[in-house]
Order: sequence, then C-alpha cells, then structure tokens
Amino acid sequence: MVSPLALLVGLLAVTVLLLLVLVFKPSITRAPGGKILAFVALFLAPGLAVVAGGANHMENSKRTEFCLSCHVMGPYGKSLHVDDAEYIPAVHYQSNFVPRDEACYTCHTDYVMYGTLRSKFRGLRHIAVQYLGTIPDTIKLYTPYNNRECLHCHGGARKFLKAGAHRGEANFFADVTSGKRSCMESGCHDVVHNVRELKDAATWQGGQP
Amino acid sequence: MNAGVPSPMDARIRISAALVILGLLIETATLFRNTPGSFLAFAFAGVACVVLGIAVFLISLVTVRNPPDR
Repeated sequence: MVSPLALLVGLLAVTVLLLLVLVFKPSITRAPGGKILAFVALFLAPGLAVVAGGANHMENSKRTEFCLSCHVMGPYGKSLHVDDAEYIPAVHYQSNFVPRDEACYTCHTDYVMYGTLRSKFRGLRHIAVQYLGTIPDTIKLYTPYNNRECLHCHGGARKFLKAGAHRGEANFFADVTSGKRSCMESGCHDVVHNVRELKDAATWQGGQP
Repeated sequence: MNAGVPSPMDARIRISAALVILGLLIETATLFRNTPGSFLAFAFAGVACVVLGIAVFLISLVTVRNPPDR
C-alpha cells in the first residue's frame, strides 16, 4: 500500500511539474483550458499540499525522536531507559504502557477537546525558547500535571481500582478524579523524570529496534 | 493579442508559480527530517512562499488587465 508520505511527495512532484509549465509558457493561460490549469496549479494543488504537509508535520511532532532531537531533552530521554521501576516514565516506556514511538506525547498531551492543538502550541513555545530564548536550568511544566492525563488510561482499569493503596481511603477515587489529590504527590508515584539523579543511573536498552 | 509578447498577467503568473515552486521545494525538503527546525522551515519559509505565490495569483486575477485583443 502506498504510504501517505509517498502520496504527498507525488502530489508535490505533479504540482511542481504543472507550475514549471506555467513558468515556461504562461501564455497558455489565455485559453480556457489554460485558465483551469493555472487555477489547479497555483491554487488548488498547492493548497492541498500545504494542508497535507502540515498534517504530516503534526503527526511527526508526536514522535519521541522529535521531542528528543533537542539537546536539552536528552536526560528526559534517558529517563525512559533507566533500569529502575520507581521511575514512572521508565515503567510506562519499557512495559509498552505507552507507544514507544509517541511516548512523550502520550503523557504530555491534554486529553480534552483540541488538546492536541493546545499541546502543539505549547510545543511552539518550547521551540521559541530553544531558538530565541534562554533555556531554564530547571525545566518545569507550565501547569501542574493533571491527573486527567493519567486517568485517561488508568481510570476504571482493574489494576488501578484494586490496588491496595488506592482502596485505603474513603474519598480516594473522588479526590483523584477531581484533582484535589495528585497522583504524583509525595509518597505515591513521585519519581518521575528526576533528571538530576540520572547521571550514573543504569539503563535498560532492550526492545530497541 | 500578439502571442509572442508577454502580457502583464504572464509576468505575474511566472512570479506566482516561481514562489509556489520554491515553497513546495522547501516543504519537500522538510518532510524527510523530523526535527523542530524542519517544522519551523516548513511553517515559516515553505508555507509563507506558497501563500505569497497564491496571493500574487489571486490578486492578479482581479487587478491586472491584459491589453485588449486586436
């Protein structure tokens, strides 16, 4: 089956060929058929190519390799491979709880309407800081991590509902769902990326293609 | 009209087509690199050239008048 990328490249090639015809023989647009050609080559096809290209870039920007291509994200990538089950990102990545090729995006998008768009705008802000600003010494989330993102997968799951620590308090599930209590509060799932502690940490490289 | 003499509209179509070609070539180049830099090149160079080319074409349709046929 032809991949979307191959289709897009084909569209780009055909559009460029049509445009070259117009560059070398613009007088053909005086005929009715030429006017249609000009409209297709100068408006419809490029418009479609830009929309398809944008969609392709949006999909690519969800990939783990995209996030980790910035140097500053290196330690965060390492935290996916650390050989310690206390690390939440490592457990999720290594146990395939999240798709490995979209590991960052899966946990750091917003699971609400237009959440993908919102996370892409945050990404643009990251890019602006990367290229135009000063990268802070300690990278922090813009807002506290929302339990909603954890519960998108874990909410209602048997393991989540049956876990002993989750069943010990009367209002536990209501508090976690409302955000009154964070999944990552001290004593619970509080070892996340912890990049400052990773310098000499052992890593697990299994499952690499 | 003399077919051998380029009209003002022909010149605009050439400019428009050249801009769109440039934009599409930039877009093609960015498709094969998955980095924030390639996204920036796509959004701020590729798309900008294509949009400018399309705008030149559309504006020319309503503003440029070819000399009448003899």
